[in-house]
Amino acid sequence: MGNIAIFSGGFGSGKSEIALNYAMEMSRYNSQVVLADLDMVNPYFCSRELEEVLQGHGVKLAAPIEMLRFSDVPQVPAEVIGFLGMEENEMILDVGGDEVGSWVLGYLSGHIRTRSYQMYLVINPFRPFAASLEGIIELRVSLEKASRLQFTGVISNPNMAAGTEVADIIAGHQQVTAYAEKLGLPMKFLVVGERFYEPLKAYGLDVEVKPIKLYLWPEWL
Amino acid sequence: MARVLMKGNEALGEGAVIAGCRYFFGYPITPQSEVAEYLARRLPQVDGVFLQAESEVAAINMVYGGSAAGARVMTGSSGPGLSLKQEGISFIAEAELPCVIANISRGGPGLGGIQPAQSDYFQSCKGGGHGDYRLIVLAPSSVQEMMDFALLAFDLADRYRTPVLIMSEGMLGQMMEPVQVREPVTERYEKPWATTGCINREPNIVNTLHLLPTELEDRNQHLFSKYARIAAEEKRAEMVMTEDAELVVVAYGLLSRVVKKAITEVRARGVKAGLIRPLTLWPFPDTHIQKCLDTAKLFLTIEISMGQMVEDVKLAVNGRVPVEFYGRIGVIPSPQEIERAIMAVAERGGLA
Repeated sequence: MGNIAIFSGGFGSGKSEIALNYAMEMSRYNSQVVLADLDMVNPYFCSRELEEVLQGHGVKLAAPIEMLRFSDVPQVPAEVIGFLGMEENEMILDVGGDEVGSWVLGYLSGHIRTRSYQMYLVINPFRPFAASLEGIIELRVSLEKASRLQFTGVISNPNMAAGTEVADIIAGHQQVTAYAEKLGLPMKFLVVGERFYEPLKAYGLDVEVKPIKLYLWPEWL
Repeated sequence: MARVLMKGNEALGEGAVIAGCRYFFGYPITPQSEVAEYLARRLPQVDGVFLQAESEVAAINMVYGGSAAGARVMTGSSGPGLSLKQEGISFIAEAELPCVIANISRGGPGLGGIQPAQSDYFQSCKGGGHGDYRLIVLAPSSVQEMMDFALLAFDLADRYRTPVLIMSEGMLGQMMEPVQVREPVTERYEKPWATTGCINREPNIVNTLHLLPTELEDRNQHLFSKYARIAAEEKRAEMVMTEDAELVVVAYGLLSRVVKKAITEVRARGVKAGLIRPLTLWPFPDTHIQKCLDTAKLFLTIEISMGQMVEDVKLAVNGRVPVEFYGRIGVIPSPQEIERAIMAVAERGGLA
């Protein structure tokens, strides 16, 4: 039996990088992992760019058809509904940012609710509209309304891209932990760039820390 | 002030707010739409107005009106949308109305594609609309500069009473980097020409129609004396390792950061290479290029286009040394690819 894991959140909160890493991690335990790239908002920095890498890990990619990948035409990959119906599939849904990105979940919610699902609110507190609890509450309400699904946990993703320092992660994670408490949602894990995994051990954080590799970021930046 | 993680388009929008811009008139187009989306959320928080116009033509004429009334106003689009705005931009330049126009560019011609490109250089710098006029054109290369150049653009626009265009590759608009949020700009320029209601004064008239031949020529002379002043005072470029450079590469925007990496590698291989990165595409920093002519034996212009800025480099070099070109369309070449291109030119020129 597989699960459904949905990565949702604000625009640019890190959903796609986390979904990619999560899919490749899951492929170690399940031979039927499907990553659905449901980002209809914006065709830049999407997990669809990683088809070959995913295939190399045995992860199936459900994404807009080749000729529409760089178009502005929102397209739900038709096979997603079929994949959702196959209970042995480990489904990972990577959706676009903000309320508009979650509408696609509303469309698919009937197929999602019939199985057990986890929907994670990915938060990077350094993003402009994630700086206050009010902003996060507003985001949560709008995403749940659009998706017709309930969040089951928070993923903490405090980073400043290439400019991240350990102090940013510590302070940012503290802020996300406070958000999670106020939202009444469990903190699922903390995501950090690979290079921070070892240095963070000294801080004895009370959370599962997942190191991630950045796939969508150009190496020269 | 706070450090935040922003997309280039968001940093540009916030930069406009910090600069005191309270009015944005736009129409969505990828990859510019986040400028509009950001300001649609942000401007109401500061008692500003975001208005999605019915078309690009309407949006640019709202900018004309807002600027004529003395406000700091902005619009944004991408290549095809900028083409639609050209008539209005010509009017705004003639009427000497300060405003900021962003081009988060994509590949053309025609609808082209949404991949990164710099092929709107001619459109931006050579007068995309009708008549004799110039825009100040700024080319940021980082998300921080998207914010900082927004501040600079509004300042230059008011100082010279002229439209300023910010030209960024689509990818720079889309990518995220940490940004130091700047302090709000409170200094304001007097605008005695603005149509603010004529209490105790004669009406101000903003008009671009000059039917008398002498009047028309006078207007053009007036505009061009202003452009000469801008050209004398505002040419800007970043110079990297150019002091002893025999091979001088010219590149702007996000692409210049890739070129900078490649230059470091090429230097390690014994080629005396340097980089000139124009920050102002107009006025073009020809004086910076001419400064390199004491040591330079060869210039190489690298662009994400079929070769547009290279014409200005050739004008600046004026035949004294060869000017070569390397270009791609729709992709930002990797540092390795650029390194190969520079080495090939260096070898052909006997510099490697």
